[in-house]
Amino acid sequence: MSPVLLATLVLLVPLASATVIALFLRRQGALASTVSVVAAALIATISGYLIFGGHRFTGSMEWLTLGTFSLRLGIKFDDLAALMLFVVSFVGFFIHVFSLGYMHDDKARARFFGGLSVFMFSMLGIVLADNLFMIFIFWELVGFSSYLLINHYHERQSAADASKKAFIVNRVGDFGFLIGIVWCYWANGTVDLSVLAEKSTVGALVFSTGIPLALFCGALGKSAQMPLHVWLPDAMEGPTPVSALIHAATMVAAGIYMLCRIQVLMVPDALTVIMWTGTVTALYAALCAITQRDIKKVLAYSTLSQLGYMVAAFGLGALSVGHATHKGVIAGALTAGAAAAMFHLATHAFFKALLFLGSGSVIHGCHHEQDIFKMGGLKGRMPLTFATFTIGVLAIIGMPYLAGLFSKDAILYLAYNNNSAVFAILATTAVLTSFYMVRMWKITFLGEARSHESEHAHESGISMTLPLVVLAVLSIVGGYGLVFRHLGGSLTDAIPVAHGSDHTVIFAVSLAVMLVGAGSAWFFYKPSADDRLEKGAPGLFTLLASKLWIDEAYLWYVAKVQQRFALVMNFLEQIFIAGLIVRGAAGLVGLVGIGARALHTGRAPAYAYWFLIGLVVLGAYALKVF
Amino acid sequence: MTSQGFLDTHLLSILIFAPLAAAAVSAVLRSEQAQRIWALVATTALAALSIGLWCRFDASTHAFQFVENYSWIPSLKINYAVGLDGISVLLVLLTTLITPLCVLASWTYIKKRVKEFMIALLVMEAAMVGVFSALDTVLFFTFWEAMLIPMSLMIGVWGGPRRIYASLKFFIYTMAGSIFLLVSIIAIRLQTGSFGIQEAMGHPFSHGFQLWIFAAFFLSFAIKVPMFPFHTWLPAAHVEAPTAGSVILASVLLKMGTYGFLRFCLPMAPYATQVLAPYIIWASVIAVIYGGFTALAQGDMKKLVAYSSVAHMGFAVMGIFSLNQQGLEGATLVMINHGITTGALFIMVGILYERLHTRELDKLAGLGAKIPVFTGFFGVFCLSSLAFPGTNSFVGEFLVLAGGFKASPWAVVCVVPGVIAAAAYMYRVLQKFAYGSAENPEHHEVADLSLREIITLAPLLFGVFWVGLHPQPLLNVMKVSLAHVLEQAQRHL
Repeated sequence: MSPVLLATLVLLVPLASATVIALFLRRQGALASTVSVVAAALIATISGYLIFGGHRFTGSMEWLTLGTFSLRLGIKFDDLAALMLFVVSFVGFFIHVFSLGYMHDDKARARFFGGLSVFMFSMLGIVLADNLFMIFIFWELVGFSSYLLINHYHERQSAADASKKAFIVNRVGDFGFLIGIVWCYWANGTVDLSVLAEKSTVGALVFSTGIPLALFCGALGKSAQMPLHVWLPDAMEGPTPVSALIHAATMVAAGIYMLCRIQVLMVPDALTVIMWTGTVTALYAALCAITQRDIKKVLAYSTLSQLGYMVAAFGLGALSVGHATHKGVIAGALTAGAAAAMFHLATHAFFKALLFLGSGSVIHGCHHEQDIFKMGGLKGRMPLTFATFTIGVLAIIGMPYLAGLFSKDAILYLAYNNNSAVFAILATTAVLTSFYMVRMWKITFLGEARSHESEHAHESGISMTLPLVVLAVLSIVGGYGLVFRHLGGSLTDAIPVAHGSDHTVIFAVSLAVMLVGAGSAWFFYKPSADDRLEKGAPGLFTLLASKLWIDEAYLWYVAKVQQRFALVMNFLEQIFIAGLIVRGAAGLVGLVGIGARALHTGRAPAYAYWFLIGLVVLGAYALKVF
Repeated sequence: MTSQGFLDTHLLSILIFAPLAAAAVSAVLRSEQAQRIWALVATTALAALSIGLWCRFDASTHAFQFVENYSWIPSLKINYAVGLDGISVLLVLLTTLITPLCVLASWTYIKKRVKEFMIALLVMEAAMVGVFSALDTVLFFTFWEAMLIPMSLMIGVWGGPRRIYASLKFFIYTMAGSIFLLVSIIAIRLQTGSFGIQEAMGHPFSHGFQLWIFAAFFLSFAIKVPMFPFHTWLPAAHVEAPTAGSVILASVLLKMGTYGFLRFCLPMAPYATQVLAPYIIWASVIAVIYGGFTALAQGDMKKLVAYSSVAHMGFAVMGIFSLNQQGLEGATLVMINHGITTGALFIMVGILYERLHTRELDKLAGLGAKIPVFTGFFGVFCLSSLAFPGTNSFVGEFLVLAGGFKASPWAVVCVVPGVIAAAAYMYRVLQKFAYGSAENPEHHEVADLSLREIITLAPLLFGVFWVGLHPQPLLNVMKVSLAHVLEQAQRHL
């Protein structure tokens, strides 16, 4: 089979699986989960063949044309897509396997696995799409599947609210994305990624700060950057495998992937905005993570923070060339910033999926207890989960020789070179990252069991521990050039690597931030039933726990502004337009009618008077009196 | 010509007059069941016949096809002239295909005066097909007015508790618009010496005259669309009308406003169109936002769908007055899509009303879990209504936005709150209906969709995905005719 056909197959297999489950297997949970997992395995197999077989190609067909305006559907499979495909198909497959165990007793298992297949279909569509319009279609579809899966426990009001929030917040970003696509079309005559890249090589591309920023709105929503970040922590209401797959490893990273796809459209001003958005999000989310009690919420804020890292990396642009000469230079190839962002995206997908699945294993073991202060002592009861989780923690805090260090250092080096303020903030974020991760790890696993649930914790079954082991291995080896080259291909060369004295500085800084953060958390927190920071510094704790009242601001907007605006509109409708104007006009007509009726008295003298008055008026008019 | 049979040469007239003949047959049928079956057979046969229009339509020309031209009132030079171009052929098809579904949707909903209802429906179909195919302004006006009576009767006789008020409001509003229509028809006759629509299209009217007839046409069509602030008849009419009435109103009647813009305003008054288009685009932005937010505040599902109609039709108007190919094709697609989706939503709300005698969202919360087939259909139509990719509305709205952006980028940016509101209200309905957890004892006995109801909705579901995934055939049909309209709208100046 030709590679294009295989890639199409990759896209169609999950769609077929979802269709079969939705139509025939709604009540057959076991069968539905098998179908879905087999589909995921098939995707991974074909993807592996495409990625490691060195197949790179494009192919497309027309979807609709209107004169000169044409929209196409097509596949663009380059090194960037190959890397993303690896993340989605392989991490996705292991999360499917994990779900077999995790969701085993769920009543709505069929709906869950059907949802996963829908998600795989739409996510793979984003990865393989060769034009922005097609990306947008699948972009909305992932949003919808994410909505379905967050809403899995829909009988919980919080889950229903969270899914609603995710859907609407994403819709806000997506509309900006849509405007960007339309704008790009009118400016450049195409939204085809390959054609845009060709145009930029010959300098025929029309640049505008508005285009990349409008497109960035899409990433703002999907990759949950400030100020559209509010949906992601709430999205943890979904089942944990969903959090791992959609809200950590793949969908939320789609924003960064999309930015890399449209890199040729970037201009310096837009990059600066993107860089600062990412930097601020990274720091903000790391601060929020410190006070969280829910194990998944800690990981959610950590994901936000790491996504901020990637967005910031992308915004930093080319290495040491500076922003001013950026335009046009990077035609075709990815900048150092984009490569570093994708590198971190991949390693993050490994260790964050590992951490989420680990937390899933913990939650499963503790009979759905999610509060870390009610856990403790899991080290001995869940040894395999503990070991792999520890690897995940070490990878994310940047332990030397694990994957996270390499990708994080690439970003730090880039920042060090291009912008010292960003470098300082990202380094601070790294301190906070190791601080909150070690806090969570220590409170969860060490010490004595602090609740009935954690006392009776048990290690999870093979379907859940196997994915943990595989992801732990990837979290260790995924950062090495030798391994990464197989996944990222030519992308590997663009990753910024420090040499000489720079290398020493970066290495020292990242080691120092890790040790400071991890050390202070190690000594500060004891595995106990309450948060020592809350006791020790209540003022600081309250400030951090407030998350700067951003959620409250949105709630205020929805309740006090939007809802009231709707009510005012409705009031206007009922009272002003339907009441005053329509009834008023009717009343006026009625009044005229009453007046006219009053004239028709039926008495001859009255008519004679009217006749006389008319005669006088006409006569006056004829004699030009007025 | 000689080789073609009577059916071939008179297809359009058959589609116009056969419903009247069918109505006459209805008048002598005795049993109610016979009435229903006869109406279904007649409308289905007409739908099948109208497929002939689709098959034989030549999309490569903007010239009117299936033309029939007979002198009607020779002394006044009024002709019976009918014909179809790429725009009207689609709207005629929409009409003929949706009418049998209306009969099906009224099967059990209409319990009293079944005969009269079916007659009204058939007369309605004749008038609607007539409006879209008329090529003579007087003939157009005749059908336009003829539509009013069966529609007012449907609302006034088979409607809800406030049916008389709603019927009267509908009647007065439309009549008010019609007067202006009549005045401009006469004014055009005085200028061109003909009542022919084709003669008036492309006639070089003076600028001042164009502004006057544009204003008059615009007012009458804006009421029909309806555009803000001429829309208040719509929610009242929809809420009171029986299901079939709402479906006809939403799917076909509203399209006559936008059809009027395309047939009269743009080709006959190009100067006025170009001068006024920017303002009308902003008026449509207001309609989208206003409709969206007002829908957000509704607790009655039918009212909610009615206000969402105002927003959707705002998109159609925006596309038309973008005055470019994308905008026009998008607008025409939005017209058809709105017919499919909103028609389906009204049928579904009607089904709920038949079962529970309420349309209050709060009382329907959580019902979805009990009737999964219904919820499946409902979910698809809700997603279609908020223009989800893969469904019909997405293609139409995307093209309108693409066209609108070219004409006025800021207008498109300002439409954002309306689109977000659409997501919010549709989401609210779906979430509450499908997942609302309230246990309601009244829901225990509720039956899922019957086979008849599935047959009613299935064609619309097919339409949602057909247009959503493969819109090219539709676009091909309308393309050349719209290009011609655009050409006419852009001459002079």
